[in-house]
Amino acid sequence: MSTVEIPGQQSASSLIPTLPGSHYTDAAIFELEQSRIFQSNWFAAARSSDLAKPGSFRKVEVGGESVLLVRGRDRGVRAFLNVCRHRGAQLCVEPEGALRNKIQCPYHAWTYGLDGALIAAPNLNSMADVNRDQLGLHTVSLREWLGTIWICLADEPPSFADTVEAAVTARLGDPAAIDRWAIDTLAVGRRITYDVKANWKLIVENFMECYHCATIHPELTEVLPEFADGYAAQYYVGHGAAFGDGVSGFTVDGSAGFETIAGVDADHDRRYYAITVNPQVFINLVPDHVIFHRMYPVAADRTIVECDWLYPQEVLDSGRDLDRSVELFHRVNQQDFDACERTQPAMSSRAYAAGGVLVPSEHHIGEFRDWVAAAIGH
Amino acid sequence: MIYVGAASDIPDGEAARVQGEVSIAVFHVDGALYAIDDTCTHQDASLSDGWVEGCAVECPLHAACFDLRTGRPSGPPAKKPVRTHRVVVSDGHVWVEESVGVETSAQPGVPVDAVAEEVA
Repeated sequence: MSTVEIPGQQSASSLIPTLPGSHYTDAAIFELEQSRIFQSNWFAAARSSDLAKPGSFRKVEVGGESVLLVRGRDRGVRAFLNVCRHRGAQLCVEPEGALRNKIQCPYHAWTYGLDGALIAAPNLNSMADVNRDQLGLHTVSLREWLGTIWICLADEPPSFADTVEAAVTARLGDPAAIDRWAIDTLAVGRRITYDVKANWKLIVENFMECYHCATIHPELTEVLPEFADGYAAQYYVGHGAAFGDGVSGFTVDGSAGFETIAGVDADHDRRYYAITVNPQVFINLVPDHVIFHRMYPVAADRTIVECDWLYPQEVLDSGRDLDRSVELFHRVNQQDFDACERTQPAMSSRAYAAGGVLVPSEHHIGEFRDWVAAAIGH
Repeated sequence: MIYVGAASDIPDGEAARVQGEVSIAVFHVDGALYAIDDTCTHQDASLSDGWVEGCAVECPLHAACFDLRTGRPSGPPAKKPVRTHRVVVSDGHVWVEESVGVETSAQPGVPVDAVAEEVA
């Protein structure tokens, strides 16, 4: 059974305020968010399988810092600031690739192991007073969970359990529920990257509510008829939106998908769950796959969204066509991001200077609004 | 003779560095020990910090590769060979006899578990 929270009843009025328009456009606000939100919280930086073998690397921009994710010769993944300790040149400029056995600065050839330790530098042996142990790359805190590499740039990261894991548990109502999908064992069947000309908060807020579903998501509402009522899965605790009666699977036309993932029991089958992990992750759970979104804010008015469709390896090995399975949420993404891009230009209008309003089925967005405002002190 | 240390302190795949007239690197590769000058002939870098593959070591800086038996570079950017040195193993301890002059001869690897090597 689902536990239903009714935040609307806690509010005296039907309409409560959003953030003011400037929070979606102001470069100074975005800078505050970079340091106080994206550097201070755990950030899903990549899929673990993106770093397939020793030497694989990926460069990601997090909170205004360039961060290198590198799989070492011991097969462990590490994160470093992408800055040479010598004169500060960026070590890697490509977004991803393979290193053989070292991270070497192309400027003066300062050379680091895949574990970030300084191995060699020209004439280093003649500098007897230099302690190379103190000149390794700056490391960044890293955790792997749900097959995802999470990093935190804070000197003292918040508890992973109390933030990331707690957000998942808060939505599903049970800490063990997420394990049913065994997300760390799933493989990327499709990845689509969206370059969205909108503030990251518009995308989060959009994802949190379903007031728009009946208007812009005809295919999704066909599969999940209760979405026409306007209540998103994130409105509840432990609630999965039920598939419609004539619907066989979570596909663009409601036709059959793939086999239900082994750990997903009858209570969770034929349902759609959605989780938001502040500040930049959305996870959708359906019986036969998982859709994992990572957002990378680039500027106040631009956000890259990388979306992975994850399936059991057997499904991918079978060579079956993923298109109808992927197309449903790809279409939802396009519809959502079009709406966000339509909204972004109006954020600087004097009509929106004081912000807009949230209707009762959107009132839980008020918690996100307050979380952002508290984090940046505005 | 320059004392390097106990053979057991140089694990397979690793290298030790000792100071003679110049720095000397002693490599343990597949059960055999080899000694060469530690400094790359291309730019000042320590070959003992490099990577061993087969019977060659790759300089960590610019990937010049030197044959551990002959000291010869396999190709650019290094042009000049490094010197080789004779390794002596006795009762589980390792010594190096530093070569004199520039020209050196090829040195076969010395088994790390050799027991009856004569110590000169």
